[in-house]
This record gives sequence, structure tokens and C-alpha cells, in this order.
Amino acid sequence: MKEKGCSVTTSSKPAYPAGTVITGKWRKGRFVIRRVLGQGANGIVYLVQKEGSRNPYALKMGYDTLDLQSEINVLMSLQSKRKSSASPRGGTRMSYLLDVDDFKGQQGDIPFYVMRYFPGSSLHHFIRKRGREWIGLTGLRLLEKLNGLHRSGFIFGDLKPENVMVSDVGHVELIDYGGVSSIGRSVKQFTEWYDRGYWNAGSRTSDEGYDLFAFAVLIIQLLNEDDLKTAAVQHLPQTRSPGQLLSLVQRSPKLKPYSEWLRRAIRGEFSNSHEALKLWKETIYTPALVGKLPGKTPRWLINAFALSIMIVCLACLWAFFL
Amino acid sequence: MKQILLITDGCSNVGTSPVLAAAHAFQEGITVNVAGVVDYGTIGELGSLEIAEIAKAGGGVSQVVGTRQLAQTMQMMTRKTVVQTIHQAVNRELKQILGHTALEELPPSQRSQVVQVVDEMTETTSLQVALLIDASASMKPKLSAVEDAIRDLMLSLQAREGISEIAVFHFPGRRSGEDTVLDSDWTRDAGTLRALFQRLQMKGATPTGPAIMRVIDFFRYGTLDEHQPWRGNTDEGEGMLGDYVV
Ligand SMILES: Nc1ncnc2c1ncn2[C@@H]1O[C@H](COP(=O)(O)OP(=O)(O)OP(=O)(O)O)[C@@H](O)[C@H]1O
Ligand SMILES: [Mg+2]
Repeated sequence: MKEKGCSVTTSSKPAYPAGTVITGKWRKGRFVIRRVLGQGANGIVYLVQKEGSRNPYALKMGYDTLDLQSEINVLMSLQSKRKSSASPRGGTRMSYLLDVDDFKGQQGDIPFYVMRYFPGSSLHHFIRKRGREWIGLTGLRLLEKLNGLHRSGFIFGDLKPENVMVSDVGHVELIDYGGVSSIGRSVKQFTEWYDRGYWNAGSRTSDEGYDLFAFAVLIIQLLNEDDLKTAAVQHLPQTRSPGQLLSLVQRSPKLKPYSEWLRRAIRGEFSNSHEALKLWKETIYTPALVGKLPGKTPRWLINAFALSIMIVCLACLWAFFL
Repeated sequence: MKQILLITDGCSNVGTSPVLAAAHAFQEGITVNVAGVVDYGTIGELGSLEIAEIAKAGGGVSQVVGTRQLAQTMQMMTRKTVVQTIHQAVNRELKQILGHTALEELPPSQRSQVVQVVDEMTETTSLQVALLIDASASMKPKLSAVEDAIRDLMLSLQAREGISEIAVFHFPGRRSGEDTVLDSDWTRDAGTLRALFQRLQMKGATPTGPAIMRVIDFFRYGTLDEHQPWRGNTDEGEGMLGDYVV
């Protein structure tokens, strides 16, 4: 139930410069800082190299020991669940969490953990750069990730584009497990736009539908951010309703291909994320939709089509005058 | 666990010092948080100093925000205070059991177990939050935002596994000498928190200190009526870890 606004007002804390060696107090691991990857409400994330190795990792230093440990607990529990149930696709999965330790800073100990580094960009940046036709596939992969988390008994909670990393070939990873909570518990962290409670569309108790609702808002944002913004500020908190999101979906041609999926997610009609995943697949792979999906029709095809119509018309005219 | 959340936009000007009143609350096992709300201009040096001091004396946190951020600030403060209170209790017990002074000094593996307990208790302890709203004239344009923020807070608290209750008060009252008015008795349901401040007459005086004292009484006796026999407070905070650490 920690809410974070769209404009997070965290004053940025001074970061350690490149070259700084972070030595663990307990396990004595040594990591060399390369650069800052990002900074948020709970800590700073650095790109590091394990000393004596070339592999890059991401190292998160927390502002608060308790908060960070709570996040680490989730990661450990996920990791042990993954290990016990072998991944259905097979293949050796590199573990997410590499090290957990404290670092002696100038003002006392700073807790940190080291995780796998995900090169790439946040979902919204990726889509802006690479085009909207990537939404179907990245959305599918994101839903698969969420579904996996749900099967382990957790919900992600603070789902927003900033917390979804996409590699240059479209691989998707969730980052920032600080908002993850067990199903049935209260949602730990959320951001107002994506929050079911903000839209008066349901509780802040963790269930699969909570993540699916956030996913729907995320898709609306990627395809029609302006109208979403308007809907969010236009109404008073008491009159804000899922109905506004639904009518936005109805109105917007860009959202049309996904409208059925979005409608069900906003109304909380999916019985679980597996069902949501199935419908998403059907949505993006329905042949009838090819061509309707935004950006799916290549420019040259449209031009060619226009040209052929012109030729037909000319031919008719020509025939008429003959 | 008991909390007072004071929502105000400036300085108190009548009666007991609110800092002293907050210290009394803390003595009673009630944590006091303060949200300062200002939309235009600043709250003034005096106002922000008082807000910080009330929270400090009350063992809580304070923050000055605009009405836009009020809901999320109230939530953040409430949660933070719950975690903090449990954290302190846990640290006290750790000291007794293990001789360590704090969670931070435990090796990561043990820390993990203790935090699991803290998370568990954060979710399940029962919680009572008394919202105390400054309804002096300058607050008038902000009251609807305050009401929305209260409902939003209730929505978050409802999601917890533990019992969570909210009561709402405003001050000053209509009659002189009426330091605070009960708008909503303890409730667990956001639905009952509608049209809280409709019949409000806004006045200039801001008796923050006396109002806090009355809310302490309300925690003790369950009513704002005076002349109740002293019931004493129950020490819920003690022995928290007992059930978990064997
Ligand atoms: N494993 C990783 N690989 C690459 N980049 C990462 C990784 N983890 C985090 N980052 C970058 O660091 C940023 C901040 O990380 P993170 O979201 O974990 O911090 P936070 O303090 O929890 O932030 P928030 O305010 O969202 O809660 C991310 O937005 C991302 O850009
Ligand atoms: Mg983040």
C-alpha cells in the first residue's frame, strides 16, 4: 500500500563514481562500479563487474535495510521455487540473485544485492523507438512473465513501463521486485494510473486481476497516452470509474484490435492470467486482425493499393470515353 | 496499533502546545503523524517547524504536500509508521534475545528471517488510525481533497489482512470550548466515509493541541464525553516477537 505518484519526488542522492570498489562486509565479494543504471524510490542501481571477471551485473543499493531485505526475500523465494520446479522449456536458467551483502559507506553500512544485468530499454522507450507493431509480442512475453509469477503465488503489484525491460531483440524482463506481494495480501506498492483502486475498479488486495488491470492501463498508455491522461485528470476521485477507461477503449481506433482483451481486464473478468494469456495470443495471431493492428499494414502496401484503385478508375474512364 | 494522523495547513493558535499534546499521545502508545497541506505559497517557516516538531514528539513522520499528493502521502506515512513501530519493537526484542542492538547488524541470512516476521506483522496487526482534520477557515478549499484522501486510505487499509479502522475528527467545533468534533466513529468500510464535512462552519481558531488531547481521550474511552473514569492503556506492543521467535 505504498503509492508512488507518476512524478516520483525522490531527490536524487549522490551516486558512487565509476571505478569505486564495493566490498561485501560478510561475504567479501568485490564489485567494481561502471555506471549508474537507474535510481528510484528504494535505491540506486549500478552496472558493476565482479572483480576478476568480465561479466556485467546490476547491483542495487537500498536506502532502507528493511525494505531492501523484504525485496530480497521475494527474490530468494522465487529462486527456490524455480529451482524446485524445473522450467518447462528446459535449458539452464541463470539465477537472478548473485549476492546479498552490506557495504561500509561513509555514513554507516549500506545494504545491497547483486542481480543479473538486463541490457535494453524500458518498455515505453522500446516501443517509441521500434514501433507499435512490437506491442503484441512484447505484451505476450510480459504476460508470460506475470503468469509465471502468479503461478509462484505472487503478484507483481507496481506494474508500469519503467519496470519492464526489453532487450534489442524483444526479450522481456520484469525488474524491481519491491512491489511484489503474496496473493491475498495487500498490494505493497503501486502507481496511481495503473492502480485498480485509483480507478474505483476494485480492491488493493493482491490477486491476478490486479496485475491484469495494470497491464491493460499500460497498453492503453502505449497506444493512446493523451486520452488516458485526460481521463485521469478530468474526473474527481469519487467519480473516476472503470467506465471511463472502457469508453476510452471503445472510442480509440488504435485500441480497437485489443478492445475485447482490454475490456475483460478492466472489468476484472479474467478468471486468471492463464486465460488472459490465451486470449492475448488469439488476439494478436487472429488472421482477421492482421492489417487491422496498428502499423501492421506496410506503407508500400497502402500506396500500392491506392495506385491500383487509380488505375481502375482511369481504366473505367478510358472505357467510358471509348 | 494506534495512530493519529493530523492534517493541517498552518500554525496552532489556541490552548495547549500541540507538541506537548503529541508527546502525551506518544506516552499513551499512540504515534502521531502530520500531513501539512498547501497548494499555493508556502506553509511558512513557523508552520513547517511546528509540523515537524509535532511528529517528532509523537514518534511519527511529517511531510508538507499539495492536495494532489495528499492521498499517497497519507498512505505512505501510515504504512511507514506501522513498519517503523514494529521494527522498533523487534529491535527491542532482538536486543533481549540475541544481544544485538538492531536488525541492521544481523548477518543477511538471519536478517531475512526477521524481516519475514516484520512483513507478516505489518500485514496482520490490527490498526486504528484517528484522522484529525484542521477545519479552520484557510482549510476550506482543501476539504474535498482531504475527504477523497481519507477514502483512498481506507481502501488501502481494507486490503490488509489485519483489522483496520479509521475514525475522523475535525477541529475546532461550533461552540466555543468544543475543541474537536467526531465526524465518523471507528469504521472498516470506505462506504460510510461520504459527505464527512458538509455541515461544517469554518472558523479562524486552530486549537491543535487541545484537539489532540481530546483524541487521546477518545482512544481511551471510546467517546469524546468528558468525566470518564481512567481506564489505563493496554500495552499491545510488548512481546510481539514472542509468538514467532522460539
Ligand atoms: N537488473 C537490471 N538490469 C538493468 N537495469 C536495471 C536493473 N535493475 C534496475 N535497473 C535500472 O535501474 C532503475 C531503478 O531500479 P529499480 O526500479 O529497481 O529501483 P527502485 O528504487 O525500486 O525504483 P522505483 O522507484 O521504481 O521503486 C530501473 O528503472 C532500471 O532502469
Ligand atoms: Mg522501479
